[in-house]
Amino acid sequence: MVRIRGVHRRFGQVHALRGVSFDVPAGSMVALVGRSGSGKTTLLNVVGGLDRPDEGTVEVDGAEVTGLDEDGLSRLRREKVSYVFQTFGLIPVLSAAENVGAPLRLARMPAADREKRVALLLDLVGLGEHARQRPGELSGGQQQRVAIARALASSPRLLIADEPTGQLDAETGRSVMALLRAVVESEQVTALVSTHDPVMMALADRVVRISDGQVSE
Amino acid sequence: MTVLTGRLSVLRFSLHWPSVRGRARADTGPLILSALVVALVSLLAGAVPGLMRDTADAAVRDAVRQAGPSADVTVQARWEPDDFTSDGSPGRMRMSHLAADLADLRGRSLEQLSPDLRAALRPPVASVITPTLRFTDGSVLRTFRMAYLDGGDSPKVEWIDGSAPPATVDGEADVPYNGPPWRVRVGLSESAAASSGVRPGALLQVRDERGATKNVQVSGIFRPVDRNDPAWRLAPWLLDPAADADGAGTTRFGGLLTAESLPDARLAFKPDELRRIVTFSPDPSVITWETAHGIAATAITLKATSATSSSLDTAPTWNTQLDAVLRDVTEQVSAARVQASVLLFAVIAGAVLILALAASLLGRRRSAALALARQRGAALPVLGAELLLESGLVTLVAAALGCAGAYLVTGGVAVWWVAPVVLAAAAAGPAYGIIAAASATRDRRVPANRSARRWLRHTAALRRAAAEIAVLLAATAAVVSLFQRGPAPGLPALAPTLAAVAASLLLLRLLPLVTGLVLHRLLRSRRPLAVFGAAQAAASAGRALPVLALVTSAVLAVFALTLGATVQQGLIDGARETVGADARIDITDEASGTTAEVAARIAAQPGVTSVSTAQVIDGARIIADEALVPSRLIIRSGGVSDPSVPALVRSSSGQLRPGMSLELRRDDEPPVRLTASGVAPVVSGAEEIVIVDAAALAAAGVESAPNTIWVNGPGTESAVTGAGALLRSEVLRDRRAAPLVNGLLWLSWASAALLVLLGLAGFALAAAAGAPQRWQTLSRLRTLGLTPRDARRVATGELVPWALATAVGGIMAGAALTALFSALELRLLTGQEADPAVVWPWLGLAVVAALFVAAVPVVVRFEAVARRRRQLAEVLRVGGQ
Ligand SMILES: Nc1ncnc2c1ncn2[C@@H]1O[C@H](COP(=O)(O)OP(=O)(O)OP(=O)(O)O)[C@@H](O)[C@H]1O
Ligand SMILES: [Mg+2]
Repeated sequence: MVRIRGVHRRFGQVHALRGVSFDVPAGSMVALVGRSGSGKTTLLNVVGGLDRPDEGTVEVDGAEVTGLDEDGLSRLRREKVSYVFQTFGLIPVLSAAENVGAPLRLARMPAADREKRVALLLDLVGLGEHARQRPGELSGGQQQRVAIARALASSPRLLIADEPTGQLDAETGRSVMALLRAVVESEQVTALVSTHDPVMMALADRVVRISDGQVSE
Repeated sequence: MTVLTGRLSVLRFSLHWPSVRGRARADTGPLILSALVVALVSLLAGAVPGLMRDTADAAVRDAVRQAGPSADVTVQARWEPDDFTSDGSPGRMRMSHLAADLADLRGRSLEQLSPDLRAALRPPVASVITPTLRFTDGSVLRTFRMAYLDGGDSPKVEWIDGSAPPATVDGEADVPYNGPPWRVRVGLSESAAASSGVRPGALLQVRDERGATKNVQVSGIFRPVDRNDPAWRLAPWLLDPAADADGAGTTRFGGLLTAESLPDARLAFKPDELRRIVTFSPDPSVITWETAHGIAATAITLKATSATSSSLDTAPTWNTQLDAVLRDVTEQVSAARVQASVLLFAVIAGAVLILALAASLLGRRRSAALALARQRGAALPVLGAELLLESGLVTLVAAALGCAGAYLVTGGVAVWWVAPVVLAAAAAGPAYGIIAAASATRDRRVPANRSARRWLRHTAALRRAAAEIAVLLAATAAVVSLFQRGPAPGLPALAPTLAAVAASLLLLRLLPLVTGLVLHRLLRSRRPLAVFGAAQAAASAGRALPVLALVTSAVLAVFALTLGATVQQGLIDGARETVGADARIDITDEASGTTAEVAARIAAQPGVTSVSTAQVIDGARIIADEALVPSRLIIRSGGVSDPSVPALVRSSSGQLRPGMSLELRRDDEPPVRLTASGVAPVVSGAEEIVIVDAAALAAAGVESAPNTIWVNGPGTESAVTGAGALLRSEVLRDRRAAPLVNGLLWLSWASAALLVLLGLAGFALAAAAGAPQRWQTLSRLRTLGLTPRDARRVATGELVPWALATAVGGIMAGAALTALFSALELRLLTGQEADPAVVWPWLGLAVVAALFVAAVPVVVRFEAVARRRRQLAEVLRVGGQ
């Protein structure tokens, strides 16, 4: 599903990624672990097309991400890749349901279908009761569940999550992770998740260790 | 003192200079914008009151100068009777001391003047002027008057041929009634002698209007020592023959009398035909706006205490129109000053709101840094002092520049007008900074308790409603007082500004409803971009300060723009009203017989499209409901005859109404019945108007003699040259050039431009304040697959409601505010009878609307370009922009 080959990324003097290469098989969940500053976020951004590598290539579902222009990347995000951020990244002025429905709107799904799918996803993450609340009126864990529901909305092939439990307490984090694991199974997506959490690592199909911008396995 | 320095040093120790400098450097944009606003508004607010005061003085002087002889203060006194002889036989007595009597009257009059009036008037000139005589020889209409002038030891003349007019007989003498015309000796000016070919010793062939010949002999030819001596002003025709003085096509010659020949001149006319008048001309250069009220009041008392002109004794009668002239001009000036302060209040209000907006933007941008500083231990007062230092410095430098400019222009600064802007600029920064710092460090979580949450919400809503009601009440009070008291300083002058703020508050309530409604509809649509834009817009529509600042400036800009356009058109209409056509020729009674001839001559000129004539009689004795209503009677020539003598009437007192039966009183003739059949058009300069048809009047047995000619057409100016015409174009030019009008027009354009600029600056500030949040959301939407171009569209969608609210709301509320025009008494400025109708500056309004709407894509493009080089990853990493 994802092929990463010889990716380098420099920020001025900082050499954040130094020739990273590995594969993520379709339908699997890969955990990316490493010390703070090791380059996890940088790598995830490059894979998801939010950032461009200085060298190397990334392929997602057969398409070369590194060769796409802005419109191509927008289409990629709309159709194949979605993200879950440590800081949730919800849109504050929209309700939970509208946040989940936003990717479906961008995909121009008919309203009836959209509403059905939004309801389904909110039920899936256990927030059917909170559909009309805005992000500011939800707890952190609830917000991250909304973010996961939103990431799943457009049935992506690849889900990229950068420390999805980083801002949550251990208990909530664990439930969010269990949810993530469950949806990977049920929705047939491939997941690439960065984490510090040993529990998450245990849930993953494979763990990729990264240190100093290099895969150390 | 030591306490103070001690405190200062404490302050100096605790202020953290690097952060003061760093903050200022990071936010140069908003700071420079605030400084610019302060500088521009200080310049305007500092200079205009001074300019208005200078303008007021200039206007008062101008009015006195324009009024000419009608502003003169005159004293009339009958002569001592001379209808007796030394032996009791029927006849008159030659009184040799007439000139000495006159000099005495002059001296006594001067003593009677109060000091303030005396200071405003030039030295008195006593004069005796004979009725108009006609030359019997020659085909050209030549007239002749004699005059004696005494301004103390002026006017001086030099006799270049012959001698000064001597007495016909020395001393007192009996003159029988049935004797031959008494001889009068006069002097002629050099130019009069040259143009008439008269030499000393010649007898002038002149007759009075009853055809009686007069015995006038020229004794000498004189040359004035000083042609500019003010005394000549009373009889300028003594110096040079005057064209048209007695009607179009006439030439008036003058004969100078001396103290010796004056007694003979009296005997040449009937006992009361010669009037002796002492004239005090006002000196415009010493009358100011401040002294005008006092002078007018003194003039009124003087008139009231003097004898009435009909009394038969020789007590002097005082007369002047100076009080009316001064009253009119001071009324006009005070209205104009209030009109100017209306505009200044508007600009200041706009500026204060924009400054608050800039300060709130700074507060937002700095809240993180300020919170950090607080966590590091900086006390709120210290942070406040740091911010005050910054805002105070910026404000003072900017205000100093503005005030220096104002000083250069007017030689003074209206400190009280500058103060509000300076205070707002200095205080807003620290206030918003402290609020930002305090709320960033306060626990911001909403209380968990549901009722506590509701209570908080309610108190906030109550506080807001209370503020709104306060503004609404203030605006209502101001509007009411404006309508009650007219253009008066203080609260009435604040009415438009307060009304604009109230209108903005209303719009602020409406905008969230409208955007919410739009969002609600769009949520059902299939246009994702519109939904996101509308959602953002709905969230920012409730931000009070941006909406208030934007809409208020736009409303007031529209108000100022419309005010200017209305005054400009009013001036054009006012000039037309005053003249009644492209040109008007007023013909004196003596020459009214020439009216038809002159009218025909003008009508034959090329480019003259219409010529009409009428007899205009001011103060005609009209009887309505058995009461005398002195009216302007206009007898129009030409038209159908109608035996009932229908009349069109217009009455400001309401005494003349259509449907009434009226009566026109005449001397020695039976009155004429008139029927008021309709409403007359507005006629400038008259309050009670009656218009009748000449033919209808003729049918009722009254012959009229037209004395007024109105001329229209592109060739009017050249057609009426030399006919003493009043030209509309000249009236308009004079009025436009009048300092008061000119100043106010300029001020309304400047205020409108400044308010539009303030509004645009406000738009940029409001957009900048919302930009971080807006682009964070847009970045998040882009991770969902929104393209960069669509992101710009969503940003546009967010800003468009503000722009539309400003453009549409501003124009609509501004248009509503023009209802206040009627209370501002703009007619005083435009010279119209009634207040001018509102004139919409369509082009200007379109430009204002277009500017605000065009600001949206400009701002969005600018924001997008500023963020173009940043990768999405980087944007998301820093949490946002
Ligand atoms: N925009 C940037 N400019 C400069 N340096 C950057 C930038 N982004 C990342 N870096 C640097 O790249 C390195 C890798 O950062 P990255 O955020 O990928 O680490 P990380 O593994 O995600 O750490 P953490 O677990 O704390 O999130 C760091 O040294 C960081 O300082
Ligand atoms: Mg990271």
